[in-house]
Amino acid sequence: MEWQAIWLSLRLSFWTTLILLALGLPAAHWLTYSPRRWKFLAEALVALPLVLPPTVLGFYILVAIGPHSPAGRLYATLTGGMLPFSFQGLLVASVIYSLPFAVQPFAASFAAVDRRLIEASWCLGISRPATFFRVIVPLSIPGIVTGMILSFAHTLGEFGVVLMVGGNLPGVTRTVSIAIYDDAQALDYTAAWHTSLLLLGISFAVLAATYGLRRKAWAVWPAYGQ
Amino acid sequence: MASELNVDIRKRHAGGPQIAAALRVPLGAHFVMVLFGPSGAGKTTVLRAIAGLDRPDAGIIRCGDEIWYDATTGVHMPPQKRRVGYLSQDYALFPHLTVRRNVAYGAPAAMPGDLLARFGLANLADRYPGQLSGGQLQRVALARALAAEPRLLLLDEPLSALDAPLRLRLRTDLRQLLESVEVPAILVTHDRTEALALGDSIAIMIGGRLRQAGPVESVFDSPADADVAEAVGVETISPARVISRSAGLMTVEIGPARLVAVDADDPGELRDQVFACIRAESVMIERAGSANLTSARNHLPARIALVVAEGPLERVVLDCGFKLTAMVTRQSADEMRLREGDQVVAVVKATAIRIVRR
Repeated sequence: MEWQAIWLSLRLSFWTTLILLALGLPAAHWLTYSPRRWKFLAEALVALPLVLPPTVLGFYILVAIGPHSPAGRLYATLTGGMLPFSFQGLLVASVIYSLPFAVQPFAASFAAVDRRLIEASWCLGISRPATFFRVIVPLSIPGIVTGMILSFAHTLGEFGVVLMVGGNLPGVTRTVSIAIYDDAQALDYTAAWHTSLLLLGISFAVLAATYGLRRKAWAVWPAYGQ
Repeated sequence: MASELNVDIRKRHAGGPQIAAALRVPLGAHFVMVLFGPSGAGKTTVLRAIAGLDRPDAGIIRCGDEIWYDATTGVHMPPQKRRVGYLSQDYALFPHLTVRRNVAYGAPAAMPGDLLARFGLANLADRYPGQLSGGQLQRVALARALAAEPRLLLLDEPLSALDAPLRLRLRTDLRQLLESVEVPAILVTHDRTEALALGDSIAIMIGGRLRQAGPVESVFDSPADADVAEAVGVETISPARVISRSAGLMTVEIGPARLVAVDADDPGELRDQVFACIRAESVMIERAGSANLTSARNHLPARIALVVAEGPLERVVLDCGFKLTAMVTRQSADEMRLREGDQVVAVVKATAIRIVRR
């Protein structure tokens, strides 16, 4: 069993989800509530990873974080390391690749919060940021949980972007999907079979947990709980 | 100097009528101003502009010494700083918080426990809004607004979300609550009885414009023009022509009929063409030929065109050459055996006819 690859994939998914939570909530807030006319462009940009081939996305990310790019040079001066073919580089790519899976459910649940509740909070003297955390977020828990779980599951299964940006360094960038690809290429079907089954199991468990949690989260509303 | 809220704004929603309103509300204790008018007259827009939720296109909103909105300087104070308690039509309680935490939501200090008790919510404190009745929701919303210590309450159709019997009972409760909390209020409604029961003064809005303002009874009794008369529910509004005027009285002609009415307070504003406004409850019906001597100036021969039951009353539409609506009790209608097609005499006092400009 490819334990090293599995552990790496889980770590990558965990950190990706955490970063997407931190970036996705403000991004979704802006997309939902900004009065700017051109925000549809930002929406399209966020959704781009949904339709772009992973190799194309991976290629651009590779170029963008390469040692000759501004981002790559900045990273090198700050840490002395390089982003491509490193875990950190993989993390950057995963965050971008899974962005729509976090931001879209977040934004959809924000948009479903009754505007009058938000205005009621403002009129009670509560600032906009405090209203966000005291009214919008609690009422959006199901959407936020969905977005986080989708990001986690999506990162767990990514292949093309990882291969482009991370390559195949055991313990550093060799994720579980790449391990399965390797095993199959080497005609080691038993190993590929085991690892695939484990990934299938984890994916199903994660999704089952999402739907289970979502039901529990809705139960705070008495109309649904009784 | 008594402080007052001074509003003079204009606003146009995309595709809607231009809304223009100028009103002054004294910020004394328990003063209730009713903003009254048909649906779509712009009442809610004015309320939202005062709350800071909508930004007017032009004008000024001043509360005491504070400028809340000024189009010329671009000042627009956010709703958080205005300290206004705003109750929307559906109360907008937070569904994820208990009654206690809803009420405490905007409270500056620790939970004002006596507020829950005062609003009869102590034993509901741990329930969620989804478990409450309409009347309880209203009390929670009012308590929540007051816990934030507002200096002005804005109530948008506070009773419209309730069903009819409850609405009747809560009207009285609401009046008592508003009197007890000592916070001035502006209340939007399109219901006449609500306006009469709850308001100290009234401002009538029609088609986006403020048409008349003053003490409730005086506006209801003496509408300034035909539109206001219609809005406040005057049943008969007929075009009339002035024939003669003398000694504070005037004679007007409506179709073939002639009526004597009391002249306007300011006779100069009336021309020959006017409207005569007559409330149905001031019209009496006599049987033809009974020839009682009464103090009423106007006795009009009429034919009963229509009789409609309205609860304990009967609405009788009379044809005296123009349509005149009378309201009589069921008993009177039975005793007099009023039937459609009968010939009767309509009796109207001169003081019951309000003449307004056309």
